[in-house]
Amino acid sequence: MQAEPSQIADDDLLQAVSRGDESALAALYDRYRLILFGLILRILHDRHEAEDVLQEAFLQVWRRANDFDPARGRAFTWLVTIARSRALDRLRMLGSRSRFIDADEQAGSDEVLDTARELVRSETGEIVRRALRELPDEQRRTLLLAYFEGLTQAEIAERLGHPLGTVKTRMRSGLIKLRELLRDRSRDLA
Amino acid sequence: MEHSEYQELLASHALDALDARDAQALRAHLATCAECSREFDELSDAAALLAHEAEPVAPSDDVRRRIMRDIRSQPRSADEAPVMPLSQGLSAAWPNVWRLAAVFAFVALLLGIVVLWRRDTLSRRQIAELARQLDRQQRELQVERDNVARQTEALALLNSPDAKKFALAGTTTAQAARATFVYDEKSRNGVLLIEGLPATPADKAYEVWFIPKGLAPIPGRTFTVNNNGRALVSDSLPAAAGSAAVVAITLEPKSGSAAPTGAIYLASPAS
Repeated sequence: MQAEPSQIADDDLLQAVSRGDESALAALYDRYRLILFGLILRILHDRHEAEDVLQEAFLQVWRRANDFDPARGRAFTWLVTIARSRALDRLRMLGSRSRFIDADEQAGSDEVLDTARELVRSETGEIVRRALRELPDEQRRTLLLAYFEGLTQAEIAERLGHPLGTVKTRMRSGLIKLRELLRDRSRDLA
Repeated sequence: MEHSEYQELLASHALDALDARDAQALRAHLATCAECSREFDELSDAAALLAHEAEPVAPSDDVRRRIMRDIRSQPRSADEAPVMPLSQGLSAAWPNVWRLAAVFAFVALLLGIVVLWRRDTLSRRQIAELARQLDRQQRELQVERDNVARQTEALALLNSPDAKKFALAGTTTAQAARATFVYDEKSRNGVLLIEGLPATPADKAYEVWFIPKGLAPIPGRTFTVNNNGRALVSDSLPAAAGSAAVVAITLEPKSGSAAPTGAIYLASPAS
């Protein structure tokens, strides 16, 4: 590899991984470890378990890089999907939904950590969070429950005490709206 | 389930939030529907961005070391292809020539699968395109049917023993234009057959007016003309217009006007 790892596109890195290039896997790890670990931790609320799942996820990336098809979506989507489903599998295995802690309670516990978090908040993340804030509260809540807790529509309806049809509509409108908001800004997205 | 019902499930599936039965049905549909498959991929990209909602957190350095250590002892997907065990298994029992033939046959089979798979993808795309064309043609057909229905209605009116008709002539604004207004004296239902009008500007519409003698014009239907400057407009003669009204056509804003504001294009002679 001639170019600096930071300049190589995700797709090319994954292709190199599929050929057995260890440095390409290391580069992908360095690029996405913060966001993927943040995602897994948000789902599991346990550092030890989360680190274990992150390791598993990257081993899966190593073994299955051949499965990635750039024509079907972004490399980021592929990586995030692996990390999220591994984390949700682990969550189900641990049966730890009952000890779910609200993310708001968890955040803000350590000022030094918070400052560090602010520094690593990426520009892309800012764009997405801004887009999310533009959604009506109920749509956003529905999306986040599905995404971070792995709840089905029926489970969300039960949790919130809302009719199933309402949950379905909110989920659909929310994600479509998010797609539109992000499409408008897609040039800014990494 | 129909295509449109599957479409409604795509967002929830991108969030992995369908129950097992719906998810299974949708997966089967996605394998055959290029349009849904494309939309699903897009929605999955949007869903993946939700990961940014989580605070980025650094894992301990140990994780990276563990991963790099483990991949050296893990086979990759390319190494998991069944070619290896097959040729290894054959080597003990079969002479070289048979082994070569078996490998050759296996490669040929793989190529065949690839060719079939590509053809399948291609024909799926063609089917989706054909479905779109069919849909478009059906919509066009519906428009045609509506036209035919109106023309049949107009013909029935022309044959009615109570039909009255009079002509409208183009004004200096549209000298080539002419029209016939036919109406049934009893029901007061009427139809205007128009030709030779200039094309309707995008933000405008033609509007029919019934003007009773000495009174303000009563607005009728708005309409646009086809490429040949023709139109067939069904309208009923307002009771207030009596039977001696002048019928006129002006060009108005698209939504129509309550009183004429634009130039007169066609008018029947005052009686």
